[in-house]
Amino acid sequence: MTPATLERRAAFRAGQRAILQSLPGTASWGLICGVAMVKGGLATPWAIAMSLLVYGASAQLAALPLIVAGAPLWVIIATGFITNLRFVIYSAAIRPYFAAESAGKRAAAGFFMTDFTFTLFMRRAQDGSLPTQHRDAWFAGVCATNWITWQTCSIVGIVASGYVPTHWGLEFTGTLALVALVGPALIARPAVVGAVVAAAVALLAHSLPYRLGLFAAAIAGIVAATLADSLKPMPPHEAEPAQ
Amino acid sequence: MNEPVSGVALAVVIVGLAVSTFATRTSFLLAGRRFRLNHRIEVALRYAPVCTLAAIIAPAVLHSAAGYDFSPANPRLIGVLGAALWLCWSRNIVGCLACGMAAYTAARLALG
Repeated sequence: MTPATLERRAAFRAGQRAILQSLPGTASWGLICGVAMVKGGLATPWAIAMSLLVYGASAQLAALPLIVAGAPLWVIIATGFITNLRFVIYSAAIRPYFAAESAGKRAAAGFFMTDFTFTLFMRRAQDGSLPTQHRDAWFAGVCATNWITWQTCSIVGIVASGYVPTHWGLEFTGTLALVALVGPALIARPAVVGAVVAAAVALLAHSLPYRLGLFAAAIAGIVAATLADSLKPMPPHEAEPAQ
Repeated sequence: MNEPVSGVALAVVIVGLAVSTFATRTSFLLAGRRFRLNHRIEVALRYAPVCTLAAIIAPAVLHSAAGYDFSPANPRLIGVLGAALWLCWSRNIVGCLACGMAAYTAARLALG
């Protein structure tokens, strides 16, 4: 094995270790999502196919009642698309870091990007602890581990939906895992301003269809955080993505 | 289900959802290299994770099928406070989940 291969394997394993902490949250949320699809009225093989192909809990759960009710195809697909609009923001945010990669690798980075893997990536990018070499292998380690955990638990939930207790409030672990991701970022004032504005807009706009409120809230929060950032004296600049 | 959806229709729906999800996730990643975002927007996007997560969390905690619930007796609010307290002294996510679920469950059983 060449030294480069060994380095790439080490980077992959480092990525696996980096995502390890958030796996319990991913696991229980995946389990609940699997149960919810079957309880929502989808037959087992279709639920498994959906989990494997879509790999997006919020879109799956948003589309589910429409599918079961026999809503028109374009309504279902539009619902999935709008629910996923936040991924457009994520995609724009990580793009500079993958600019040098092949189209195939960029497509893979997109397919495997979730709230968890994206947040981990951006946090590492901002505190400067993203590997400088073999970043693609590192992110592959993050994504592969997250994907396997999610799919295993989601499929267990689908197959064993009758045996998973739904009255324990296990789905709340998904929310708590997101709290654990967002918490450490709330040290800087612009981030706090952004989070508060985003939360307020999300609550106010919650009744909008297709989870459009989430997208509106994300945009409002980012604008507010940027304004808060520009109101304070410029700090010595943090590392910005290599162009 | 009163009217079972046909297998073909289901397959089309699932593939359609998969394509639309893939399209959003890869949108900017696969956009041509000449197509570039304004630098200020790229810098602003570093706030994307914190804002999106806050926008997902707030309604999940403070809104339910019954409507808004801002009362301090909301078990999910107590659960999040438990998780936040844990985060004040450790970044460990497993501990955060355990602490949050313990607070949530205790509140649910005590107030429920």
